[in-house]
Amino acid sequence: MVSADLTSKQESRRSQAGGFADAAPHPLMSLLRRLAGRVVAVVTTLLGLLFLTFSMGRLLPADPVLAITGPEVSKEVYDRVYNELGLGQPIWMQFLSYVGKIATGNLGTSATTGQPILTDLMTIFPATIELAIIAMIIGAIIGIPLGVTAAVRRGTIIDHIARIVALAGHSIPIFWTGLMALFLFYGKLKLVGASGRIDVFYEGLVTPMTGFLLIDAAIQQQWDVFYNALGHIILPASILGYYSVAYISRMSRSFMLEQLSQEYIITARAKGLGTRKVVWRHAFRNIRVQLLTILALTFGGLLEGAVLIETVFGWPGLGQYLTRGLQMNDMNVVMGSVLTIGAVFLTINILSDVLYRILDPRTR
Amino acid sequence: MLKQLLTTIAITGALMTTQPAWAASPPNMLVIGTNLTGIRTLDPAQNNARTVSELISNLYDNLVQLSPDDLKTLKPMLAKQWSVSDDGKIITLTLRDDAVFQSGNKVTAEDAAWSIQRVIKMGQVGSTDVALWGFKPDNVEKLVRAKDEHTLEIELPQSVNTDLVLYSLAGSSIGIVDKKTVLSHEANGDFGGAWLSANSAGSGPFSLAQWRPNDVAIFNAQPKYWGGKPAMARVVARHIPESGNLRLQLEAGDVDVGQYVASGDLDALSTNKDMVIDNVPGLGFYYIALNQKDPDLQKPKVREAFQHAFDWKAISGNIMRYTGFPWQSMIPRGMIGAPDEAAARYDYDPAKAKQLLAEAGYPNGLKKVLNPSGAATLPFAEALQASARAAGLDLDLVPGEFTPAFRERKFEVLLGNSGARLPDPFAVATQYAFNPDNSDEARLGSYYLWRTGMKVDDLNTLIDQSMKERDTAKRTDIFKKMDGIYAGMAAPLVIFFQRTDPYVMRANVKNYHGHTTWSTRWHDVTKE
Repeated sequence: MVSADLTSKQESRRSQAGGFADAAPHPLMSLLRRLAGRVVAVVTTLLGLLFLTFSMGRLLPADPVLAITGPEVSKEVYDRVYNELGLGQPIWMQFLSYVGKIATGNLGTSATTGQPILTDLMTIFPATIELAIIAMIIGAIIGIPLGVTAAVRRGTIIDHIARIVALAGHSIPIFWTGLMALFLFYGKLKLVGASGRIDVFYEGLVTPMTGFLLIDAAIQQQWDVFYNALGHIILPASILGYYSVAYISRMSRSFMLEQLSQEYIITARAKGLGTRKVVWRHAFRNIRVQLLTILALTFGGLLEGAVLIETVFGWPGLGQYLTRGLQMNDMNVVMGSVLTIGAVFLTINILSDVLYRILDPRTR
Repeated sequence: MLKQLLTTIAITGALMTTQPAWAASPPNMLVIGTNLTGIRTLDPAQNNARTVSELISNLYDNLVQLSPDDLKTLKPMLAKQWSVSDDGKIITLTLRDDAVFQSGNKVTAEDAAWSIQRVIKMGQVGSTDVALWGFKPDNVEKLVRAKDEHTLEIELPQSVNTDLVLYSLAGSSIGIVDKKTVLSHEANGDFGGAWLSANSAGSGPFSLAQWRPNDVAIFNAQPKYWGGKPAMARVVARHIPESGNLRLQLEAGDVDVGQYVASGDLDALSTNKDMVIDNVPGLGFYYIALNQKDPDLQKPKVREAFQHAFDWKAISGNIMRYTGFPWQSMIPRGMIGAPDEAAARYDYDPAKAKQLLAEAGYPNGLKKVLNPSGAATLPFAEALQASARAAGLDLDLVPGEFTPAFRERKFEVLLGNSGARLPDPFAVATQYAFNPDNSDEARLGSYYLWRTGMKVDDLNTLIDQSMKERDTAKRTDIFKKMDGIYAGMAAPLVIFFQRTDPYVMRANVKNYHGHTTWSTRWHDVTKE
């Protein structure tokens, strides 16, 4: 969506890199201007996305009133709740009043949890971020070496393994993998926890501070809770991570292949440099920036991939929250979640843009 | 390089195996795996659905209660005794004097009166049953009153069978709340509703320790409970929406009780000696609804054809094994006026269905759109579609969530299921056979007969009589008469199964009894 233009931008940057610029603006000013432009673009996109989501929500057959009252409700109670939710106004007015509230930082109240959306998001979002970060770390520490190795040893067994890993990651449904992994690692081997972020008997021992359970437990030195939480997150994060391994390794492989065919690599090899040095010190340095973009994109993808895995693992995060909101036509939940995901993409975009400029001297 | 890669993978694997052994739930803790979707508040006045009723029934006491194994005999709870005036207009309840709220406040008749007034004045779904008797925001304060600290008087605004009124008082929505505490948290005239959504103020055996919507609800035992301290120090209801995951946790002993387990997983668990599956009869049916606004479906012979177009026997042994039993009377099995047997009133007979369609003017069969009410009834709808084809009914199945369309009479053929809480045929009859005004403007979406667009004056009269009549023998006759009319008129609600709700328990869990009216209580639950 918002970040789709990143790779094409690399190309344009690369082509610009060699040219002479006359009367170039101050680099900081240019960066600020670019960032401002980006923010405006993303906010506009978000508004469009919200409108689209809102309109689609109104087309769903689910009735938000019945989601609250149950299907056997009398006319009087139905009307009362209908008016409480403000559903009597025209759609455009509902949308405008919603956007107006957002501008004042009010995301409304969830029809199905009864809580302010902001309160809900502060509780559930850290759970998803925690899951996605660990998944991304797993994805990166396996995917990048796997991809690089596959490129260096093209045509060997390791290359084929990498390809199979990538193919499986693209073709096996994450839902099925999740259930099978649960069956094996929890049901049979008893190595991990099953549902939620923590076993119920550890509930309430750690006071939420950051919302990240592992960090909160570590800060409060509740090591039992920490290990228990780790045992709960490791399986969904590994599966989510595996699905990103497929993508990261494929992209790392193709970036690396591109580098290995460059003249400077051939020269380095001719000079007698060892393979490891050539690959990691020279070629890898030149694909770092591209990999950063891939990791940023992957992180956004992980937030979306969390939807199914959170359902399988009963993980109380944004994915489950959004799914339920859609099922029950709880529009404030859907819109709040979409906004959050959009904001994350915006942040990732801007961060990767800044890092890009720091890491790639040609863009300065 | 390959070595590095393998090392990385090994470290990740090692992380997964450095966990302490995963313990089963402790002996004094009950863990219930359920589905907490859509519970936005734990305020009794704002709820009447299945899962939340169970949670509320353990935070709040009712004036009277019904045992799960005897739905006819009212038993004392906060009221130790009650009497009805000779004219049947006033119910007087005497409250016990040893009950206290979790705040330490004593439970008084004033709290009981205010709790009922609050439900009616708030007018939320919790008022559905008790409002049937004619209580309104402007009369309830006068009619429901505390005579003294331990005496509550309920004066009925109209002639009603007082057992029905008392049954409604046993429902979870009429849990008695601590007036002083709740009022101290009132905001903008909300009767403390916002505060009660995530807090408890009851005299029940448990108090609310933690509530995270769609995630977990944790309850702590009340050591000073008037009925004695519960054996379970803590009860946890955890949101586990994925049935396969729930099954694994039941097998591992991490979860003691499982609700909403899918049919396939129930089959697998039924062969496990560590599990017990309790099929609790529910007050509702699985039915085919035929919209009478459709001129084809208005014809009685077409409606009759539907009775013979569904091979219900084929699914009673598999997809319906745990969720219903064959039953084709509008009076639930075992209730007053119910027939001894109604499990085979109409057989699957494609030839007969075809003949009926031909007689109705459709020699080449009939094509209609079929909707399930929601995801839960989709397998049932698929089975109907398959068996109806041989009977000359070409049903175009469109899956989705169609309860809203059903309530607005925008459907052709719909397959749904229902539930009710009042343990009396009157409640089910009201749902299935009552329609005082068939106009679109009436919007009586809570009555299924209105939803299908049919009005039968004789049934309306009988239902009204069944509400007012105090003599059990006469009521029995009324319900029998009702059933006779319904069976003879080829009703637009073709009933096939009576609902059951399966509860899966580990064998070491004792005294957990799923309740037909959803007021399942944990006070006596123990674990061996």
